[in-house]
Amino acid sequence: MNEIFPTGPCADHEHNLVDLLEGSLGPERARAIRQHVDSCPRCRAWQAEFAALDERLADAMPRPALSADFERALQERLATLVQPATRGDVRAAVDREYARLIDAIRRDARRRGLLDGIGAAAVAASAVVAASGLVGNAGELHWLLAGRPSSLMLEGLGAALAFAALAWSVGRGAISIPGWRR
Amino acid sequence: MDAGIEHHLAAGRHARAFDLVVPAYKDRVFRLAYAILRDRAAAEDAAQETLVRVWKALPGFDGRAALGTWIYAITRNTCLMELRRRRPTVSFDDPDSTEAQHAATSIATGPAEDPERENLLRLVEALPRNQQEAVRLFYLEDRSYDAVAERLGMPLGTVKNLLHRARKRLMELARPDEVIAA
Repeated sequence: MNEIFPTGPCADHEHNLVDLLEGSLGPERARAIRQHVDSCPRCRAWQAEFAALDERLADAMPRPALSADFERALQERLATLVQPATRGDVRAAVDREYARLIDAIRRDARRRGLLDGIGAAAVAASAVVAASGLVGNAGELHWLLAGRPSSLMLEGLGAALAFAALAWSVGRGAISIPGWRR
Repeated sequence: MDAGIEHHLAAGRHARAFDLVVPAYKDRVFRLAYAILRDRAAAEDAAQETLVRVWKALPGFDGRAALGTWIYAITRNTCLMELRRRRPTVSFDDPDSTEAQHAATSIATGPAEDPERENLLRLVEALPRNQQEAVRLFYLEDRSYDAVAERLGMPLGTVKNLLHRARKRLMELARPDEVIAA
């Protein structure tokens, strides 16, 4: 093994010597290289040294194996990955549903607030108009009974609308009345 | 085996495909991880991590690369991450360092009373990292250049050159100092 090779094998044949050992040369090429090895002490010695090293490496290299419970451990780990993912999915779905619900409630509250505002404004305006008309024309109620159209009739209609709007707002819950429950 | 796996993948049956991937690839993945990490326990952890990543990514596997090429690339990345994680703690002076323990473990895998073997394995560890990996893998895979090329994702010619240089260097390192000096 520890022979002296001051110049190594013939440069042209170095790879061929390995290929010859490993049996990867074609028949013609193998015969030619073998003839060269037979006639060249340097190549012959180098090839012998290479072959010895190759054998030593093959014998020395550790060949560890997977432990017997490798697959079981892997499946256990995969199972732990699946469960949180499922719980996570459920949690995400619940969160999405909750967000949708909150969004719908907020939209509904905004719509109701707008309608209630309009209703309350209508109630206030109609009440003011009707009250002022009734007070100003109290002596002319006979015109209404006689079926003659007048501004009093319009004011009466306003008062009716105001009452309707008031009732509607109470019904919507915008105006609370003690003891009244929707 | 890969044809069966790819058949399931094409049909969207990823769980069934993974059930075939594990027995087909676990040992090859483990040996590749061992060649890179030089430690049985770390290699087993890396093999498990690799297969978990494969399990997660399998639904996105598009088949542009061969399944094995894809799995070995994941294995190498997993091992490189492990090596990067270790790097800050590397210290050959510290007998308790991770690297020192790995070196001791890899050598102690065989008979402790074989100093020649231990010396040869130390010489392998003196090689550049890419040559070390190629040498370990070559002998773990029963001297198959094709297997080494596939696992390391290198052209066959590159692997042959790498192994040739590595073994030539080992021959030089194995000679007594006075001969190398000569």
